[in-house]
Amino acid sequence: MGPPPVVTGISPKEGPPGTRVTIRGEFLGTSATDLIGLKICGCDCLLSAEWKSKNKIVARSGPCKGRGDIIVTTRSGGEGTSTVQFRGYHESIGPVKESAVWVEEAAPPSLPWGRRPMSPTTYTPPDPLGLSTEGDDCKFPEEELHEMFPDGSGKLSDDNFQPGWYLLEHHSNTSYEDLKAGMVFLQRKVESQKEGQLSFLKANTGAVMDQLDRLVLLKNMYEEDQRKNGKEPLPSLQAAIEESITLADSLFSEILSRKDNADKTREALSLLTRHKFLFQLPASIDRNIRKKEYDLVVNDYTRVKNLFGNTDVKLFQKILAEIDKKIEDLKEKLYTRMKTMPINVQEQTKYIRLLISLNWDGDAAWVAITSRKEYLMTLMNKVKDHFKQKEEQESNEKGKRKVKESESCGGWSAVRGAWAAAAAGALAAQLHALWPLARRYFAGELAGEPQSTQRQAELKDMIIAAVELFSEHMRACLLAPGGKLVPTDTLRARLLANLRHLREAYDSLLKLDLPSQPLSIVEKVIFDYRVHGMSVFLQRAHKRVKGLADKETWKIEEFTDYGAITNLPHLLETYVNEAFAAIHKCVVSSGRRESPLLVEGGEPANTLHKHTQMILLAYVSVLQDLALHHDDQEFNNSNLSVALEQRLEEGPPAGRSWQQRLLLAGANAHYTRRHTLPSIAAAANTYGFPKQTLALQATKEALLGLESTIAETYLEHKGDPLVGTIEPSIDMGRHKTDADAVIDDARPYVYEIINNLIAVHAEVDSVCGAASVRYVRDICETVCEELARLAASAPPPPPQAAFQQRLEYTLLQQACAEHLTRKAENYLMEALAGIPPLESEEEKRRMDTIVEGFKKRMELQLASLNCHMETV
Amino acid sequence: MPRLCCCSCLEPRRGRTMSKKPAAQPTLHKVIMVGSGGVGKSALTLQFMYDEFVEDYEPTKADSYRKKVVLDGEEVQIDILDTAGQEDYAAIRDNYFRSGEGFLCVFSITEPESFDATQEFREQILRVKNDENIPFLLVGNKSDLADKRRVPLDACRERAQHWQVPYVETSAKTRDNVDKAFLTLIRQMSRLKKGLAAEVEDEEVKRRGNCCIVC
Ligand SMILES: Nc1nc2c(ncn2[C@@H]2O[C@H](COP(=O)(O)OP(=O)(O)OP(=O)(O)O)[C@@H](O)[C@H]2O)c(=O)[nH]1
Ligand SMILES: [Mg+2]
Repeated sequence: MGPPPVVTGISPKEGPPGTRVTIRGEFLGTSATDLIGLKICGCDCLLSAEWKSKNKIVARSGPCKGRGDIIVTTRSGGEGTSTVQFRGYHESIGPVKESAVWVEEAAPPSLPWGRRPMSPTTYTPPDPLGLSTEGDDCKFPEEELHEMFPDGSGKLSDDNFQPGWYLLEHHSNTSYEDLKAGMVFLQRKVESQKEGQLSFLKANTGAVMDQLDRLVLLKNMYEEDQRKNGKEPLPSLQAAIEESITLADSLFSEILSRKDNADKTREALSLLTRHKFLFQLPASIDRNIRKKEYDLVVNDYTRVKNLFGNTDVKLFQKILAEIDKKIEDLKEKLYTRMKTMPINVQEQTKYIRLLISLNWDGDAAWVAITSRKEYLMTLMNKVKDHFKQKEEQESNEKGKRKVKESESCGGWSAVRGAWAAAAAGALAAQLHALWPLARRYFAGELAGEPQSTQRQAELKDMIIAAVELFSEHMRACLLAPGGKLVPTDTLRARLLANLRHLREAYDSLLKLDLPSQPLSIVEKVIFDYRVHGMSVFLQRAHKRVKGLADKETWKIEEFTDYGAITNLPHLLETYVNEAFAAIHKCVVSSGRRESPLLVEGGEPANTLHKHTQMILLAYVSVLQDLALHHDDQEFNNSNLSVALEQRLEEGPPAGRSWQQRLLLAGANAHYTRRHTLPSIAAAANTYGFPKQTLALQATKEALLGLESTIAETYLEHKGDPLVGTIEPSIDMGRHKTDADAVIDDARPYVYEIINNLIAVHAEVDSVCGAASVRYVRDICETVCEELARLAASAPPPPPQAAFQQRLEYTLLQQACAEHLTRKAENYLMEALAGIPPLESEEEKRRMDTIVEGFKKRMELQLASLNCHMETV
Repeated sequence: MPRLCCCSCLEPRRGRTMSKKPAAQPTLHKVIMVGSGGVGKSALTLQFMYDEFVEDYEPTKADSYRKKVVLDGEEVQIDILDTAGQEDYAAIRDNYFRSGEGFLCVFSITEPESFDATQEFREQILRVKNDENIPFLLVGNKSDLADKRRVPLDACRERAQHWQVPYVETSAKTRDNVDKAFLTLIRQMSRLKKGLAAEVEDEEVKRRGNCCIVC
């Protein structure tokens, strides 16, 4: 069974019943007898159908109303379909009315309102009122008439004729005047008929007589003929006719055969013009391919396949084969173009569509997708190779002159930045092409097998592979170690630029609505890069802090509550602050759909914490080295004048004595602990970093330890010699003691102790200010301890000496009152306890007088022991 | 006579459509042929539809044709309404024009009156459609009768330029540029519709998301 008929054209597309319509389409029957059915709007029109060709039928519409399909049925193809519709409508047409329908000159089938009475059945008598019904546009609805006159009819010739019907139907628009005139006309007509037959004969006497004469003549001729030819005239007639047929045949046979020939030639010619399309197609395909009008080629090809696909004609087959070959070549060409990268998506889609139209047997779109992915992979590798090579070149050139710059730059060189930008751009651009293509593919727009789940998995793998390659490259490119020589400003700028490139790529992938897995791979790269950036800043700060030892000039920067400090604490604060600021500015803020960097307890937060601690402890050990390193230089303990020789600010800082450096370092440590650490904590807080409590705590402890070490060292080097002089000095005085002499003053060793303490106080106070108390206190304590020791080791003194000793201890107690700790006082008490108490009131008074005198005499010295820097 | 084959071309196509999920009906573009009587509207239509040229002049009332064509690799349906050029039918044009989405305004290069008439057709179309940018193509037909040419090419081009529409010269007899005329117009209509449809589709895509593809 062949294909079913398809009607694709109708001319005209509307008309009243009986309209002659030309139906066009495909497979409308192989011959007139193949056509076995034709329905227009449901009305069977087969009777009027005239089969012209397999593409054309001419027929007349039936009494249908409304719009409907034109259905052709053939023996060979069954019942067909139609893409166009015919609309039937009813319309009254007067002889002069303009008609949108060609009322055929050739007899139309029964039209009750036809123009011309053709036969008695269709005869419509003239209007009995003698009025014209032309232009009777607004017709009275037929249904209502039927309702009004259920048994009636509007036809004059019918038995049940109803004048009312007739008038409504034909004269609903006629004016009253006209109707009256019509009435008169009708009356006159009736009058004239009433006169009867006789008057009719009278009026036509001449004609009647004439007819009678003819009848007589006819009768005579008939009788004559019978006489001549007998009663059977037919046999002779038959013989004559047969003879004439033979004669005619012989006459026309030659002409007829010539006509046949002419017909054949004409047919051949028309065939040639008819199929000009086919014959010219190979050339026109070539031309169109050259002009890249592939659409035309596809349309032409479709048409030619449609028209000649199954031809038996050898010639046609040959041409078709040629065309097929060209189309095969074209397909090959389109296929190659489609998968040759680079190509933009629109163009590629166009090629895919064309291939689909040309029945390419392959999954064109899928090939396009895979080749795009391959292209992306090679592109990324190419980008990598390109920049690697460039880097090598540069390092070769520079290598001759100085250290390989690019190598030392590590991930921070300009070349790496360009690489990251190029790779990010390539990834974004290619995925922007690939993903929509894939989306259309899976939406079923590009044929192939989008339903297959394997395909979906493959696509996912492809995207992940691409993104992973990108991630791998970026890690190799940006997360490389090195870059020690890059200035921090440059580093920061490059970090920001690289982050921007990565984020741009990420952002554009986000816009694509990619699945989350590949997205998270990219996000991870960005995240790791941020962590990397953070670590680099911290490492730099660490390095700078470690280098602080060389920065120490011992120049006094400031006198603070914790003593005179150099600029080391400030430098530490600056370095840490700068690192924090850089981290905050460059890496902490998260981009769209990125995880926050410094989550409490997270890996990066721990790294930050660890580094902070390292930096701070490095600082402590710098301080320690500076404090305790003294090039074998010893304390200058000669005398008070040394300490006051020069004012601190004036002296050349480089020439600071070790004890000064030690004290300065102590002040630095103290200041750092009390002031710098809280500011660092505050800075971390303002930048919104997690609290660095542990690091700060550890540093605080280390600093406390350092401070004690410094104090101990100082005591060791300053106090011990001082204490060591006491015993010899006492002994020296003992020889001079005159047992009988009246004791009115302390022995010289007391003054020596006081002088020494003043010197120490002056020294530490000049450096440590208020904080100097600690050092003086410690030394006082050791002095008291020594006195207690000496007192304990000596035998109980005689009364005279006891008075002397009590006086000396009292004077010392008075002088050092401000610096005595409980422990020191206890030592003094201990020493006093070994001496017998004063016996008489008089002795007590004497003692008081001497003490008063001492106080008056020593007022200046005592004041300088108890004052501070600021008060001087 | 070559026996017409029926299936060779339709079969694979049909086969494929079935293996897919129910394919969407191709987009329908409604084209209207306008122009004076006898300029060759019907001849162009029949040539485009059936590769057939009719010598006899049979005035049209209103004919309807519809077929599928491939445009830019995409299958679309084209519906052609071939209208009457004869003045007798001028009154019913408004109704037809209303349903049109694109117009091929045809005149004969051998007949200046038909060229003049294009002006009125254009005005009537703009009045009915009330849209300056309605897809429209000016077509000078009977280019095979170059020796009888009476409308200069410059005048034709100038008018097309003035209206900002493309101009094509065709011959329904030799089939010259016939496809081009129709396809150019359909492409215009297709673009216009895609432009209108683009926003809707955008939203559609967003709503559907991508979870169906890779999850
Ligand atoms: N030489 C030549 N004759 C043509 C061409 N196109 C049409 N004709 C002839 O011009 C006459 C009119 O053609 P139609 O196509 O019927 O004209 P139409 O525009 O449809 O006219 P209406 O239906 O009345 O509006 C016919 O005799 C055609 O054979 C052409 O390109 N070249
Ligand atoms: Mg016509």
